[in-house]
Amino acid sequence: MMTEVSEQQTEIDDIVAKLGLALKRRYGEGIRVDNVSIATLGASNRTVLFDAVETAGRRRLVLRQETVKSEVSPFISPHDQFEILKVVYRHGVLVPEPIFELEPEDDLDVGYVMACVEGETLPKVLLNAPEYVVARKRFATQTGEIFAKLHAISTSEVPFLEKVADSIDPLAAQISRYDAYCEYHPGLDVGIRWLENNCPKEKPRVFVHGDYRNGNVILSRNGIEAVLDWECAHIGSAMEDFGWVCLRAWRFGNIDQPVGGFGPRDEFYRAYTSNGGQTIDEEEIRWWEIFGSLRWAVLNMMQADGHIRGVRRSLPFACCGRNTSMIEYEMLMTINGQFS
Amino acid sequence: MSQDKPDIKEILVTVKQLLESIANKSKGGERYDALCGAFLLGVVDRELECGERQDENQNRELQVLLGKEGTLSDLYELFCQQVRCGELDEQWPTAFDFALRQVIDKVSVTNPDYLATMHRADTECENQQSPVK
Repeated sequence: MMTEVSEQQTEIDDIVAKLGLALKRRYGEGIRVDNVSIATLGASNRTVLFDAVETAGRRRLVLRQETVKSEVSPFISPHDQFEILKVVYRHGVLVPEPIFELEPEDDLDVGYVMACVEGETLPKVLLNAPEYVVARKRFATQTGEIFAKLHAISTSEVPFLEKVADSIDPLAAQISRYDAYCEYHPGLDVGIRWLENNCPKEKPRVFVHGDYRNGNVILSRNGIEAVLDWECAHIGSAMEDFGWVCLRAWRFGNIDQPVGGFGPRDEFYRAYTSNGGQTIDEEEIRWWEIFGSLRWAVLNMMQADGHIRGVRRSLPFACCGRNTSMIEYEMLMTINGQFS
Repeated sequence: MSQDKPDIKEILVTVKQLLESIANKSKGGERYDALCGAFLLGVVDRELECGERQDENQNRELQVLLGKEGTLSDLYELFCQQVRCGELDEQWPTAFDFALRQVIDKVSVTNPDYLATMHRADTECENQQSPVK
């Protein structure tokens, strides 16, 4: 255990030293790194918070580095994520300001640095703590407004997303990832067949976030401050983002509040359409919620696979493998109309 | 029983209690890991209790549905292939019911509290008070 801890500290020290040099290369010798902390390790990224300190003052920043490189990774590259941040920031979508992208000379692998936005992301805290009562009330409406702004951005500004598997055929992309694990889940295959037999009609293709949910949004007491985690962005139906944020898993027990456990659908849909969004198709949103269960189940299989193969040994990732059954349950209960 | 006491359930209870006590005294990642460990021991307990019977029942159901014999893993593979290519479309309600029952079996082992009330009575693990709770 001690060896593990000291190895981790050595790794952190190495990152901090290289980060200091990366800052000096860009901003001169008068800048240094201070007050470093490692945020929770994400599914595909490492997140390091630090202060960039100059004589004039200090600014809290965030380093995002890619940690998982898998052939079946569903995530877009850090380079493309950084490009997206620049586009959406320019359009006034609430995101952390993009600062700079890592380069080979930085010797920090691939990733980027962005501004740190203060606030809370932990879903259960956001859903229960008294200080977030105003933010909770505003979440559905604010999300509708954010989606309207995001979906209005021309796909020509993010042309590199056209090549993403989820842009080409989202269902085929999930099936391909599921098949890569060589596991047989009767529930998932029944769900896949239902999705194939009930495919929605083609809709206008827009720029979608792909992973907008409770947990990937920073909230202050006043409401949403920033949208994070753009690694699943792609081109698709606007209704896909609606289905994902309403997925039962993201309600964290508040099942009667479909929009991330925070609020009702009608406020959400109204805010979206009144801000120039696409036409709402509730039947299609239901299809995307069932699709979302397939996708979430496959992501859990990915986490468990990382644990089983020893790439990222972790008890939470081991739990993910068994959690798949609960997601399959939600999927089938939604198909048969018991869950909504 | 060829092994001496404590039996396997008592061992599970002891280790689970230890992990829960570590979780209560810890914060952050250590607390979360301890809770996950305790959760997984609960899974082990329930799987020992009813996993074998669930497998036997599912194997029997799949043999009838598919008209073939084999290990449960072989039959899962065949079921999934047939569903995927539409061969069971004509028997959709039966195929759907099997898949749902199989999933209910899995959830009853992983996290029985997650099941809707209507399915709690169906599970084989019901009324078997887990010592690891």
